[in-house]
Amino acid sequence: MGTALNLALIVLLLTTAILAVTARDLLAAVIIFSVYSLIMALMWQRLQAPDLALTEAAVGAGVTTVLFVVTIFKTRRREEE
Amino acid sequence: MRLLHNYHYVAAMVLFCIGLYTVIVRRNIVKKLIGLNIMETSVFFFFISLGYLDGGMAPIRVGKADPSRMVNPLPQALILTGIVVAVSVTALALSLVILLYRQYGTLDVDRLMREEEQSETAEREERG
Amino acid sequence: MKRTVSLLFIAALAALLLYVVANMPPMGDPANPTATHVIPRYLENAEEETHTENVITGIILNYRGYDTMGEVTVIFCALAAVLAVLGRERRGAIEGFVDRSEVVSSTIVRTMVRFMVPFILLFSLYTIFHGESSPGGGFQGGAIIGGSMIVFTTIFGLAESSRRVPQRIRAALEGAAVMGFFLVGALGLLGGGEFLTYAWPKVAPGLQPSLVVWLTILVEVGIGLGGAMVLTSILFAMIREEEIATAS
Repeated sequence: MGTALNLALIVLLLTTAILAVTARDLLAAVIIFSVYSLIMALMWQRLQAPDLALTEAAVGAGVTTVLFVVTIFKTRRREEE
Repeated sequence: MRLLHNYHYVAAMVLFCIGLYTVIVRRNIVKKLIGLNIMETSVFFFFISLGYLDGGMAPIRVGKADPSRMVNPLPQALILTGIVVAVSVTALALSLVILLYRQYGTLDVDRLMREEEQSETAEREERG
Repeated sequence: MKRTVSLLFIAALAALLLYVVANMPPMGDPANPTATHVIPRYLENAEEETHTENVITGIILNYRGYDTMGEVTVIFCALAAVLAVLGRERRGAIEGFVDRSEVVSSTIVRTMVRFMVPFILLFSLYTIFHGESSPGGGFQGGAIIGGSMIVFTTIFGLAESSRRVPQRIRAALEGAAVMGFFLVGALGLLGGGEFLTYAWPKVAPGLQPSLVVWLTILVEVGIGLGGAMVLTSILFAMIREEEIATAS
């Protein structure tokens, strides 16, 4: 049971990482990256690191994402060809 | 098979390679920064997996918690510091990205390099 | 061409990394070298030596105080660098500049945010004050405060939220957090002990455990408020428009 959950989380991690890297729309990439951070927080809770899970959920999924979004609004949303 | 048992380590290594691929191959700076963040979290993930103990519990001594059954607290403390440094690096890098865009109007690394070369040659011609 | 070379390089690196991982001891085994050397001592003695139930807090704010000093310095330097890159906030100039973030949000959203922010702040205070006995601590709480500031700023606009947390308060708290951390840390050295270990053998041998706990919480509160203000200032600096420079 525990192993299956860990494996599922890892598959999700790899999927979100690849999606975040391949998305053409930068805003979409950033939002997928925030999902990646949230799954990483769950993974850390599974590895018995509640302190880190809390930090990652607040910093990785919250603050970092917002800083990225602000940057995209100030620059451009599409990747150049 | 050791690799199958250590699937957490394998996942961390694969994530590291995905991040590195993005940093090297992608031309958009924001994409590069996302790749850098993925690399950072993969290393953190590797460290935390290293400190894991089968059937262990979080290193918080409440009640009758048994210290010999706790996971390793040292990587967790180090990674906590690492996350803070990571967010500081990201914030500084993003503010530099904003400044670059104001100056050159592009986020593409190749174009940035071309602009830089053009302005350099223009300067040299002015002087010479 | 460049792409192929990069891919080949990454494939070689991946093969090397996987080879190393395949030869590592099995994960989670209690006989691993990572679990047998320094760690038992930390886990056994942390509660008596640092008076914190959360061993991670004990390591961060006691055994490895220099690491945390570096961390505090790094976020402070990051803020200084961001302000140097994007331009410093001038006192009283906040009303003057163009605020493109001011989108009129619906009453429902505004009411919900006004209702939620106090609870988020309450949770962050809980995280900070219970950092020594449960998951959480200074920086986590600070990040949550920063998160509530982000929510508030997105809905009510930069002008309103920088009126609530003006620049002079942020600057004062950021400075006070770093200075306070160094002072409490140096007190340990002056008292004849180690940096940031609240044991002062020369001055007061056998310091009261409750005093040590209060000092730990004080440092946590400092890091929390300082970190929150640094994150808020970075966010404000990034949202601000460059038109101020030309307007003045």
